[in-house]
Amino acid sequence: MNTNPDETKMALWLDDELHGEEHAAFEAAAGITPEMLVAREDVRHWRALMAAAVPAAVDPPYPDFFNSRVERAIRMPAATEPAVVPEKQWWFFRWNVLVPVAACAGMVFTFWLGTLTNHRSNVVVETAPPRAVAVEPFVYTPESGVEAERFASSPASATVIVLSGVDAIPDDADFSKSTSFIGKRDLDVTAAVESESNDLMEL
Amino acid sequence: MDDPDDDFRLVLQAQHGDYRSYDALVTRHRGRIFAMIRNMIYQEADAWDLSQEVFIKAWNALPRFEAKARFSTWLYRIAHNVVYDWTRKRKLESVGELNDEIFARERIDSDSATTPSGGESPDETMAHGELRAKIEAALAKVSPEHREVVLLKDVQGLSYKEIADVMACSIGTVMSRLFYARQKLQVLLKDEYESR
Repeated sequence: MNTNPDETKMALWLDDELHGEEHAAFEAAAGITPEMLVAREDVRHWRALMAAAVPAAVDPPYPDFFNSRVERAIRMPAATEPAVVPEKQWWFFRWNVLVPVAACAGMVFTFWLGTLTNHRSNVVVETAPPRAVAVEPFVYTPESGVEAERFASSPASATVIVLSGVDAIPDDADFSKSTSFIGKRDLDVTAAVESESNDLMEL
Repeated sequence: MDDPDDDFRLVLQAQHGDYRSYDALVTRHRGRIFAMIRNMIYQEADAWDLSQEVFIKAWNALPRFEAKARFSTWLYRIAHNVVYDWTRKRKLESVGELNDEIFARERIDSDSATTPSGGESPDETMAHGELRAKIEAALAKVSPEHREVVLLKDVQGLSYKEIADVMACSIGTVMSRLFYARQKLQVLLKDEYESR
């Protein structure tokens, strides 16, 4: 679209943006033709169509919450107060120069301190390796009156523990009833004691 | 449209720290800003957040507002920047990934629950709702610049000069964009446009 002054005025006239003297002057100079009037009517018609179909204002959902949320964000210090850069003082520039010097001095001092500490630790701390202490194994028996004696045989690589004072185990002792429940699948399938295994299942 | 003189009075009071005046300005303009942004990005939840951002930024910049333009035009300018920043960020974030929303934008049902409701009779609402759906579908097919210029001119009623201020371009550019945008939309809405 050409936007020379005449075209610009024409566009403004078509959109009803010329008013007063400007409007009269344009109409006098341009000489209004029926085509121009039709074109202006088309633009008016279009604007009316758009304005009728698309609302210019729609309140946002939860409008009260909208306002309160804006207020909350604004009242937060970071949002309300623009970031202000503090004015630099004269001593700030001198301090700036001193920063690398101070950093170097700090590093040298720390290094010197480190060498001192290392030297001291070399002199003082001479720790001996831990000694292996032979400990005689002790066999613990929870029942009083029972004594245990341990015999170790190096050539046989075996250890025997002899318990004295333990009551003899009666022949009719049923170990299965004193142990925890055994499921059917854990039973030895080769054992021919089907009735007993059934008893076990009932436990 | 709200009286600009009232706006200036409220702005002056807000500039002196009166938050109640600013709250009144928010209430007066939130509908237009929200509608404008929603019509630009087609996402109600994001439009809500971006409208918030507009009013927060406006508050922070209020000391610099010199009343050379209408307060509403100034708000549209902030909204323009907020929407373009948001679009740019989204483009950067979505590089290399499949974004369903971008594909779905063309198929947005404008008659969905997010469609704005005005104070119309049921018949008018139905007729306008249908037309609105077609216009919104057509608007979705033009470029963001063309969409924005049509919305500012034909829906919000801004002048060429105000649109140029909002979009930070010359009046000639505004005229050119508006001319081509209207032409394209009239082709897309041929049946509707000629029957009315």
